[in-house]
Amino acid sequence: MEVIAQLLITFIATVAFGIIFSVPKRALLIGGAIGMVTWGVLQGGLYFGASSVFSTAVASLTAAAAAHFLARRIRIPVTTLAIPGILPLVPGSRAYFTMLSFVEGDYLRGLEFGVETMLRAGAIAAGLVFALAIFSYGKGIGHRYEPNR
Amino acid sequence: MSYKADDIMDVCLLAGEIMLKYGAETYRVEETLERMARAASFSNVHCFATTTGIFLSFEEKKEKEDLMQMVRIDDRMQDLNKVTEVNQVSREFVSGIISVNDAREKLEQIAKAPMQYPLWLIHLAAGVAGSGFSYLFGGGWFDLIPAFLAAMVSSLVVVEFERYLKVRFAAEFTAAFCGGTTAILLVFIGLGNSLDQIIIGSLMPLVPGVPLTNAVRDLMSGDLLAGVSRGAEALLTSLAIASGIALTISIFV
Repeated sequence: MEVIAQLLITFIATVAFGIIFSVPKRALLIGGAIGMVTWGVLQGGLYFGASSVFSTAVASLTAAAAAHFLARRIRIPVTTLAIPGILPLVPGSRAYFTMLSFVEGDYLRGLEFGVETMLRAGAIAAGLVFALAIFSYGKGIGHRYEPNR
Repeated sequence: MSYKADDIMDVCLLAGEIMLKYGAETYRVEETLERMARAASFSNVHCFATTTGIFLSFEEKKEKEDLMQMVRIDDRMQDLNKVTEVNQVSREFVSGIISVNDAREKLEQIAKAPMQYPLWLIHLAAGVAGSGFSYLFGGGWFDLIPAFLAAMVSSLVVVEFERYLKVRFAAEFTAAFCGGTTAILLVFIGLGNSLDQIIIGSLMPLVPGVPLTNAVRDLMSGDLLAGVSRGAEALLTSLAIASGIALTISIFV
């Protein structure tokens, strides 16, 4: 019951975020659905005992992969789906507690929260990058040498 | 198909300007402009875009001189709908469905068009998003109402102050301060229990989602200059929000 309520709220909040970023109307509900799946994957990872950073990375990969796949289907830029998709992962509460600890003078706790915030943000970026790598497969031309020449 | 080089240059730069202004990734701008210029059968096409400007050069004929122009982009907003529409126009132009004049007309319409969603709907959505995330971050059902109000206040303040303040991050700082103050006030008069979650919810509408995602994308596609500058923008916005809320907490709690 709790899980269903959370998923429903994630859907509504993600669609609302789509309106804030002025996502085209035909992509609004799809973005919300991706956000819902992202939250589900994140909670699933935490439920099965994975660390929060790893769960975030997997959820971000899921969101970005779904965004790439669906954006090709309905022919819109990937960002219009990817941005609402990864929003449920934004480490807002960690960032807030980082700042709160620093304001209260508890620097050690602040650093602890800060490191976790940075790691989670990095995990989101990693998921985006992996999805990009998967979906641009076959377009590489080599970065160091030119083997095809 | 042969077009006048000057027309193509204007249309390309107009498309690029709209895309970059309303939050497209740099690589998308470069790729779109190069494709459009190539579709009009120009050779030696090069485009270089950063977060604040676009350069485009191409060659009309072999014996003629090359053309090169730049536009400077001062404002950066978030309106992904306009990016999508320009993308559609460029796609139609490249596949030869519409002519260069049609493309220019369509682009000018897009540039002039008002926001897709009215302002009240955006404020309402900010409230809904803020209250939703305050619940997801561990708040209770009773905290939905104060988080809704506080998030709406911060969205209202950021939109209204950006009309008067030229400095970009001052509006976000003020919005974070006002949103946090509203949250603390509402909890003080007995509406809502978990103050932390309500404050987090009130800040969520200010999160720089577009520059953050674009920074990652640009860095990974090799546009290091654009990626780093977008990342700096996102970082500064986050710092402005953090210092705004830090000020509220130091004063009122």
